[in-house]
Amino acid sequence: MTAVLDLPGPPAAAIAGLGITEVGRVYGRTASQFAADAVRLAAADAGLALPDIDGLLVSSGLSGGVKLDLQRQLGLRDLKLLSEMQGLGSTAGSMVSFAAMMVQSGAASVVACVHADAPLVAERGSRAAYETAATKRTGWRGVTAAVGVLGANHYYALAARRHMLRYGTNHDQLGAIAVAQRAWAAANPRAQLREPITIEDYHASRWIAEPLHLLDCCVVSNGGIAVIVTTAERAASLRQPPVRILGWAQAHPGRFLERNEDLGLVTGAAQSGPAALRMAGVTLADIDVVELYDCYTFTVLISLEDYGFCAKGEGGDFVTSGVLDPGGKLKLNTGGGQLSSYYLWGMTPLSEAVIQARGQAGERQAEDHELILVSGNGGVFDHHATLVLGGAR
Amino acid sequence: MILPVTRDAETAEFFDGTANGEFLLRRSRVTGEMLAPQVYTDSAGSTDLEWVAAAGTGRVVSWAVTYAKPVDGAQRAQSIVAIVELDEGPWWWTELVGADPAELREGLPVQVEFVRPDGSPETLPVFRACR
Repeated sequence: MTAVLDLPGPPAAAIAGLGITEVGRVYGRTASQFAADAVRLAAADAGLALPDIDGLLVSSGLSGGVKLDLQRQLGLRDLKLLSEMQGLGSTAGSMVSFAAMMVQSGAASVVACVHADAPLVAERGSRAAYETAATKRTGWRGVTAAVGVLGANHYYALAARRHMLRYGTNHDQLGAIAVAQRAWAAANPRAQLREPITIEDYHASRWIAEPLHLLDCCVVSNGGIAVIVTTAERAASLRQPPVRILGWAQAHPGRFLERNEDLGLVTGAAQSGPAALRMAGVTLADIDVVELYDCYTFTVLISLEDYGFCAKGEGGDFVTSGVLDPGGKLKLNTGGGQLSSYYLWGMTPLSEAVIQARGQAGERQAEDHELILVSGNGGVFDHHATLVLGGAR
Repeated sequence: MILPVTRDAETAEFFDGTANGEFLLRRSRVTGEMLAPQVYTDSAGSTDLEWVAAAGTGRVVSWAVTYAKPVDGAQRAQSIVAIVELDEGPWWWTELVGADPAELREGLPVQVEFVRPDGSPETLPVFRACR
């Protein structure tokens, strides 16, 4: 008969440092420079010196350029982990979960995860930064662009329309998300857009790709954000309150541009959400603060349904119930999200989650912040990552 | 706007088809399912696929009206983009040429049209509402 072994579990992992550079219409620095600045800020925030870092995970946005040579830029020697990761909007969650496993296994002890981007060029619009029309068109992606489907605004408009057709979701409902998040952004000193908006402002904002108004779309930002991941034990001895990494999961449905009955109706969050909560040993009802990826208002609405905050198809009624307002019941996208604060892919929800988990959000601080759900979404709902973080009790 | 495109190893056979006025799909010799041209593996994991010409008709699954930046404060619709479900099943994301935004609806019947934009070595399939 085999004896039951009472082995200790792996050590818990935590986020010990957060670095956010100046973000927004900030020019004159490359993505790589933003990334280096973010890592320096994150190490200082944690109370660590740069040479304490023995693992580095780097991730580029649209403008590229954050590469393995960030090690050289930071003067880091003898790293035990160095890699570039790319899962579009799911990358931040992927980096943090991989870093957590590396420190849990002992393969590395202090891992910096960084994302930076610099797509904005002075005196050019945000749209120019993200449009694919000017690029050389070849391959299957080139065919889609050549027949007139030019990037994220078009893709998400087509997905949102499906939800509207199927469930009767309307612009008052999408607009309610934009208005509520702007109200949260008013209390975020880092937010690019802090001026309050009304539902009338939302309806009056110009079309980008109907059914998407300008105020359905995220801002575009230059900047960099880094987090430092280490063991919870080590984090407890450092400068900041540790933010425990309790659960993680990914989902990649893999049906881009193919027949996809789920497009605009269900996303990978329906899989990664429950899986991450299960790993953390908690339920949705335990979650205090929710930071959802919000490239568009619609992304928030469908994610709320998929995580189970409301039933499928009822996202529209849910978001117009007042639940999202800063005084409402659900503490969602408390920094204004990508719609109003800054757009650095999955680092936007992750950074706000860390700030809230530590209790450092000032005016916009959620009273309860013990458990925080963070989502990442990439492609056209093609890549999803969920994190469950534990804050101060 | 339909734009120039060049072929690569993955799209070469598809563009041989469009040059002949055919919209090629892939059919699995194992499962019999019809797959989009950019699919290389059927649902059973087999790569035993053959090219077959689609009928070229389908229905609108979703659509969006695209806009350029306003000129003198006025916005003008630039184009209609749509997801078309071909009668054989696969989807195709494309501009819907000549469409009137007022006539758009889920299930609108559409048919393929082949266009070779100025300066493009290849011909592209787009869709137009059936008249």
